[in-house]
Amino acid sequence: MRVPPGVSSSDFAKALAAFERIVGKEWVFTSEEDVDLYRDAFSPFMGEPEERIASAAVAPVTTEQVQDIVRIANQYKIPLYTISTGKNLGYGGSAPAYSGSVVLDLKRMNKIIEVNEANAYCIVEPGVSYFDLYNYIQEKKLKVWIDCPDPGWGSVVGNAMDRGGGYTQANYRNHFDSHCGMEVVLPNGELMRTGMGAIPNAATWQQYKSGVGPWIDGIFSQSNYGIVTKMGFWLMPEPEAYLRGTISCMNFDDLSAMVETLNFLENSRITAGFPDLGSPLLGYSPVGQVQLFFESGTSMSEEHMKLLATVKDGRSPELEAFGRQHNIPCWQVWLSFHGPMEVIEAQWQASIRHFAKIKGTQAKVVDKTHLPINPADASKFHEPELGIPALRAFSIGARSPYNPTPSKGHMWFSPIIPRTGQAIIDANRVFSKAARELDMPLFRTFTLPACFWERSFIFILATPVTTDPATNKKYREGFKKLIAIGGEHGWGEYRTAPVFQEAVVDVYSFNNHALHRFHETLKDAIDPNGILSAGRYNIWPKHLRGKQS
Amino acid sequence: MRNRTTRHVASIVMGGLAAVAVMAPSLSLADTGVEHVQGKAVYTKWCAPCHAPGIIHPGTHALETKYQGVKSGVILEWKDLPASYVEYMVRHGMSVMPQFRKTEITDSELKALAAYLSRNTP
Repeated sequence: MRVPPGVSSSDFAKALAAFERIVGKEWVFTSEEDVDLYRDAFSPFMGEPEERIASAAVAPVTTEQVQDIVRIANQYKIPLYTISTGKNLGYGGSAPAYSGSVVLDLKRMNKIIEVNEANAYCIVEPGVSYFDLYNYIQEKKLKVWIDCPDPGWGSVVGNAMDRGGGYTQANYRNHFDSHCGMEVVLPNGELMRTGMGAIPNAATWQQYKSGVGPWIDGIFSQSNYGIVTKMGFWLMPEPEAYLRGTISCMNFDDLSAMVETLNFLENSRITAGFPDLGSPLLGYSPVGQVQLFFESGTSMSEEHMKLLATVKDGRSPELEAFGRQHNIPCWQVWLSFHGPMEVIEAQWQASIRHFAKIKGTQAKVVDKTHLPINPADASKFHEPELGIPALRAFSIGARSPYNPTPSKGHMWFSPIIPRTGQAIIDANRVFSKAARELDMPLFRTFTLPACFWERSFIFILATPVTTDPATNKKYREGFKKLIAIGGEHGWGEYRTAPVFQEAVVDVYSFNNHALHRFHETLKDAIDPNGILSAGRYNIWPKHLRGKQS
Repeated sequence: MRNRTTRHVASIVMGGLAAVAVMAPSLSLADTGVEHVQGKAVYTKWCAPCHAPGIIHPGTHALETKYQGVKSGVILEWKDLPASYVEYMVRHGMSVMPQFRKTEITDSELKALAAYLSRNTP
């Protein structure tokens, strides 16, 4: 049996026996075979000594059981590592940040406590997946939408806690921002509710976020200060209709004007659906179309593909001439609208009018439909843009005729960059140069950022995980260099796997790491025994600080 | 087309069960039925989003690509899928398919799933 570092075998045995009394023998996992199920399936350290692995796992089903487990962990100084559904693939999966931790697996806490249609909110436990919540809403025929990430089998709470994003309207896509109220088990086992939930018999827990006094919900995300056992989320009332169209610009030099126009329309809420950027000429699929490439391949001609080889930092006079000759736009922004048909048609027309100031712009409606759609037609769309969870995103990495060598997973390099055309060009120049030097297969021609959040771009590069340790080592080291290079330009990751959290946090170093030192001060005050999720986002308890490589 | 094929397979299975019940009265049809109800439910929840028919399901597309027409990419149609292989795959994963923990699919649910997926395997 594996034992957490610094814990005696006898203390560990006593703690495990206590865990068994709390949750039942069936839900404490100690055999190597069972504990191996908690390994990160996408670990870039798979099979190497540095892979972060658990010593055991315990799976409570009630908040009271979570509190009891935390009290026992304090008594015996057992490091716990909390997961919700354990599906944070590409960001650490179900494995701990600190090897030897006991994984606190909340998957069994899967109660949907309330879905309120009239006020459009829900309260869920951490084990509830987006599929669970979607199916519940469908079965009860409630007229509300969820906003789900892609793939959609992860935890509603967990995704928000790691600050994930989705695909419907702007004010729902940021999953942490769209939460309202949480219940937290603190590191001493005490139960706390935030916002209006701090009032006994609260009447508006899911209707007003901040309550009174310091609003502390944020400190529980991407951290290790508490265990969220309930969380409220605002839901979108089911819209009446959906319209999606493309705005195409012909010239490379149109990029900045296109982004500026998009920003104006989005910040004015003339368009609120997920904006998606692509380049038909440079062969770059927008996020919502990537799966179609892996399902059905490209429609590019051989001549077109040949010309792509002449592209440097996105530019090629020959390719641009080819684009003009064959009416293949350099840039395309996909806009989507949800709401009454007469409203979204007007929003689309206003969007076309604003983009028309860019010479040669073409507009085309791709989808226009009343809602709800027939479920049998869902696969004609990028499902998450209609609030429908799916697993089609696994086509990225899975074997297909267009990906004959499947990967073992991927690590997402995803810095936040400014919402400007120039930043897109700069990020391509900087990271493609670095990727070439580091021999990392991150770029084909040119990469466009994703627009999950308002106001900023995420520049996402998928780094494959392979079965070859030497290749994985090269990519891991390269990944860390990319993080540092990003930092030199003022760009930082929004989220990352535990193996890169130290490097990412290191970039946020203003005034001698004042922010990180504040996080450590909080940790020491809230969790003096360092029980909860040691090392998460590089926040280590005092006794482990500076001892990690 | 795919749906039609699936329904056809399902009707053969149902017919097969009825025939077994008639020919072998000692086998409890009720027990067999219950097992597949649970196995099918586990399949629907955990496997179908990636393995249902059609290339929009990455697991099916991957298997179709792998087997190049030698056999179907739809695991529900396989006739050479031992229960032990299902159990191994669920607990170990393959390519971008992760392994599944016992809090997701319990040992008894896995047995039911394996029995369901191997129902056409002699």
